[in-house]
Amino acid sequence: MTQHWSPYWNPKVETLPKDQLRALQLKKLQTLVQYACTHSPFHRRLYEKAGVRPEQIKTLDDIRRLPFMTREDWMANQAEQPLFGDLITRPPADAIRYHLTSGTSGRQPLRVLDSRKDWSWITDMWCYGFWGFGIRPRDTVFFAFSYGSFIGFWGAHYCCEKIGCLTLASGNMTTEQRVKQIVELGATVVCATPTYALRMGQTAEKMGINLKRDGKVRRVIVSGEPAGSIPAVKKMIEDMWGGKCGDTAGMTEIGTIMVFECEQQPGGPHIIEDHFIEEVLDSDTGEPLPYGQRGERVVTSFGRSFIPLIRYRTKDLVNKVPHTHCSCGRNGDIYEGGILGRTDDMKLIRGTNVYPRAVESVVREHAEIEEFQIILTRTDNVQDEIAVKIELKPNQQDCWPRLRAQLSKDLADAHEGLRFNVDLANVGELPRFELKAKRLQDLRPTN
Amino acid sequence: MHDQQMDPLGRTVTKDEQELLALFRQLERLSQRTDLPPCALMNVKQAMVLMWNACNDLFLISEDPRGD
Ligand SMILES: [Zn+2]
Repeated sequence: MTQHWSPYWNPKVETLPKDQLRALQLKKLQTLVQYACTHSPFHRRLYEKAGVRPEQIKTLDDIRRLPFMTREDWMANQAEQPLFGDLITRPPADAIRYHLTSGTSGRQPLRVLDSRKDWSWITDMWCYGFWGFGIRPRDTVFFAFSYGSFIGFWGAHYCCEKIGCLTLASGNMTTEQRVKQIVELGATVVCATPTYALRMGQTAEKMGINLKRDGKVRRVIVSGEPAGSIPAVKKMIEDMWGGKCGDTAGMTEIGTIMVFECEQQPGGPHIIEDHFIEEVLDSDTGEPLPYGQRGERVVTSFGRSFIPLIRYRTKDLVNKVPHTHCSCGRNGDIYEGGILGRTDDMKLIRGTNVYPRAVESVVREHAEIEEFQIILTRTDNVQDEIAVKIELKPNQQDCWPRLRAQLSKDLADAHEGLRFNVDLANVGELPRFELKAKRLQDLRPTN
Repeated sequence: MHDQQMDPLGRTVTKDEQELLALFRQLERLSQRTDLPPCALMNVKQAMVLMWNACNDLFLISEDPRGD
């Protein structure tokens, strides 16, 4: 007998009328603020300074009484009281997992802890997304990703186990081996970054494998790069793999995804609103923006008990539209076009964060260099490339081969192995500055 | 122990939901024990967390998330 599954992971709550969803969010917010104030000295100080008390949260609009939390606050707190600061609500010994971001030069990593419940919740948020995009117990899921200290895709792997899929990790495999496995195993779902999904497709072509014909992939789930919501990229992936491509987005700070595309794919992912409050604000004034206006995502998470995240400034740019833009029946509003970019200067290159300042700190270690420029381009509308163009001081040309090799290595080492192209500029070619140097040119098309 | 009749929004809890809640509470109690063999206790804790997840998703509970 074929089991008839609900299209929703959580049919009761994902389809609650909006007023009841808002009532649920208010209850959860009240509980969370009280919990954070009681157990996190960081939050207690923050709220005392702002003169706000948990009992003042009487309506959802009262969230605006609460001060913002920033990554800078978090980093400062970690630096003052290594390793985790006093933001955490529990002793580290209560945790079962520790993840961290890559600390690029001069930057300390973001360190996160999760308890048993936190980890199960993290896994569950991925379940909302995977189930919502049609993943079922009969699926065979292949993760084309190498798990490590970075949290990316870990929760998704556990989610597939929870759903009951046959789940395969492939951290030890080359691209060719992965392609072979996917075909041999008859994987029906592949998870990867969008860039890597395309790379596997290109490798398959070179190997004489037609994934559409020889494979059984019906879903490609991507994460980790904004490209996953670019329609042209999705189409390329779908043409290669023969399955539907769905986007998800998350962040280390919350430990999981907060948005996912449903099977209807109305042009953007749904917010998991029973577990997150996602505000869209004018990043300069902090004032809320109406539907349809691009602004900064500010997230409140009801999940991770170790690290309360309340009104966290993400610096992600989004455009929220009502849930009614989709016919699937979910009550979660939609981020049209996914995550659209960043409010600051951080650049995301093939899943790795690149800060111009960190690049500069590597470049400036070499006295032979006079001037430089960082140039970002996009190949075939998908693959992001980063080049550093170097202008040497006069009469330093002899050192170039050695310097080029050294720079390539140092830049990659400081960025999780990301490949930088290092090119030589002619003498006098690069612009010079007196104030506010502009050493980064982002030539990638805007979405 | 009384069955929980209402969820945190004051809606009636269904029979199935009551059953899920009762299981969670039972596992919660067991997971606080210190005299069970490790093979029992650690698996009970894992089971408790999964039941917590189900009850939390269905919004049958709204409480301090510690205790795991
Ligand atoms: Zn939908």
